[in-house]
Amino acid sequence: MTAITLTVNGRALSADTTPRTHMADFLRESQGLTGTHIGCEHGVCGACTIEINGEISRACITYAVACEGTEIRTIEAFDDDALMIRLRAAFTAEHALQCGYCTPGMLIAARDLIRRRGTLTVPEIRTEMSGNLCRCTGYAGIIRAISRVMVEVADETSSPIRGNGWLGPAPGPTSRAAIPPAHRQDADRKRMPAASSAASHTLLPSREIKVLTGPIRIDGATTKVTQSFVVEQPIARVWLLLTNLEAVVPCMPGAVLDGGPGADGTFSAHLALRLGPIRTTFAGDGKFTRDDAARSCRIEGRGRDRSGPSSVIGDVTYRAIELSETSTRVEADIGYSLSGPLAQFGRPGLVHGLVTHVGETFARNLDAAAAGRAPTSSKDNELGAVSLLWSLLTGWFHRLTTRT
Amino acid sequence: MKPVAFDYIRPSSIAETIKILGENPDAKIIAGGQTLGPMLNLRLAQPTILVDITRIPDLVRVDDSDDALTLGACITHAAIEDGRVPDAGDNVLARVARGIAYRAVRSRGTIGGSLAHADPAADWLSLLTALRASVLLHGRGGERTVPLAAFVSGPMMTNLAADELVVGIRIPKLGRNGRVGYSKICRKVGDFAEAIGVAVYDPERKGLRLVAGAAGGAPILIDDLAAPPSGQSGARSAWFDDLRSRLQSTSLGTDVYELNTHTATLRRALDEVIPA
Repeated sequence: MTAITLTVNGRALSADTTPRTHMADFLRESQGLTGTHIGCEHGVCGACTIEINGEISRACITYAVACEGTEIRTIEAFDDDALMIRLRAAFTAEHALQCGYCTPGMLIAARDLIRRRGTLTVPEIRTEMSGNLCRCTGYAGIIRAISRVMVEVADETSSPIRGNGWLGPAPGPTSRAAIPPAHRQDADRKRMPAASSAASHTLLPSREIKVLTGPIRIDGATTKVTQSFVVEQPIARVWLLLTNLEAVVPCMPGAVLDGGPGADGTFSAHLALRLGPIRTTFAGDGKFTRDDAARSCRIEGRGRDRSGPSSVIGDVTYRAIELSETSTRVEADIGYSLSGPLAQFGRPGLVHGLVTHVGETFARNLDAAAAGRAPTSSKDNELGAVSLLWSLLTGWFHRLTTRT
Repeated sequence: MKPVAFDYIRPSSIAETIKILGENPDAKIIAGGQTLGPMLNLRLAQPTILVDITRIPDLVRVDDSDDALTLGACITHAAIEDGRVPDAGDNVLARVARGIAYRAVRSRGTIGGSLAHADPAADWLSLLTALRASVLLHGRGGERTVPLAAFVSGPMMTNLAADELVVGIRIPKLGRNGRVGYSKICRKVGDFAEAIGVAVYDPERKGLRLVAGAAGGAPILIDDLAAPPSGQSGARSAWFDDLRSRLQSTSLGTDVYELNTHTATLRRALDEVIPA
């Protein structure tokens, strides 16, 4: 437990909490302030909107420990607020609530909007209120209510919030003295160096290979994508690599072959992935088959997330096509489906970018291997994108990216 | 929807932060937490230690000189939206800040956090790449300044070392007549962008710079085109056909929808700065 001290609705308090407890749970569970509602619990719906040092914020993605020293204001503390009194009346008059679940967040966000921006047009109000979702009124009444109050108070002196001059997330250092001036001209340059010659740490691969990635297609539970690239190597050499799992696997950053392939093509493997804040490892097994006549291989596999309940099933077929004596095209049809927590987070544009990035890394490594060099040990090989099973790899990305 | 348990440290200086990062390979920096918070709650990210950098005064500094504006990494989108910091020209920072997610997110989300996360759909990444901005990094090996175009290596991938911290962003100022057009397509207001178009037209300095953002990976920069003609609809239309062909040769080229949305956002951005 961690001790925190803060002010909630004008009352100074100290409490013990765990670092992972978010502010909405803290307020509801330990302070009994159940007016702060929890809807999506990942920063999308706005039901948990509160004020932190006068700025509206999402309580569900702000941890209580990070609010040490702040002044919190929840819906319970707006009873006597003149603007909120008007808003409550307008919400009643305009039928701006039905079940009431979104209402505390709506009211706090609306009050903030009026205070900051004065009178707005209806489209502007809709845009500005888009961070608060309502599932029953259809918004029309909410917008009318806000618009009505904006007109009512148009002639009154506005009181724009401007906190204590701190430019970061509230509260900043507890001591006012530590707050730097907002606009410091040419002061103490060495702390903020002027741009020098760029010390780029880009790790260039031995040779860039252009990878074409088709559109992401959703077919039932399966995500499908095709990918192709050309390596300047004779097909015999490329085919030798593509049919040898022990050669293919090191081309996939983060992938390790744990066993096999046996005579029947079965194997086991794992894939360590690090992308942004996401670090995970998929482990699983699969089957490798080859069709020498068609110069085609297929990898089917399934894997489980070692740190959670997610899992992925993948199926990749790839072909080598001779373009000339020294040039070979590799084409892959990739399909995968994800289940578990990771499947809830996906955005097609991001999946496309990730698959392309992984494909480029794989292609570079394959090219290097075909030319007799070791796979590049670029940072990509840690970050990773891939598994020996593109399935594993793409599945992994998918989870990371799914639209919320 | 509750995060896995983690420890929490709140250093008071950049040096202390770097030391903590060096000693804890599994530590994760948190500033406003508006991207990391959802990923923690969904258990997509499970770091063992969070390092809260929001109490470090050096990370909210502003240096405003004649040729560049330097913003500390922990400055919030809301502070930029409200004009509480100077702009780099054409009021572009405030304009773009206002379109980031929602006010309740902008009040805690930070410019440095957005760049360190390097989500392809993020507004700052595209805009600041077009403005030739550089990130300022501090690590155990010292300090370095890296142009954004070299900092970002792929979707959510950067060249930030494990013990390095983004401390600020240096944004060259526009010339007196410099203009910036900005357009994005989102399914819903505040949602992740599906396409971003940025057009920086600065006749006194570097001419025309275009960025196609939310393109899956690092922003796509096009900076070798002459300005599109005005007042001649045929010639202007041909110019945009060329631009579309140019995009077709990038990673966007295999998907007609991507090609169309990115061409449209670039056209809208260009129309703002070089009217038809």
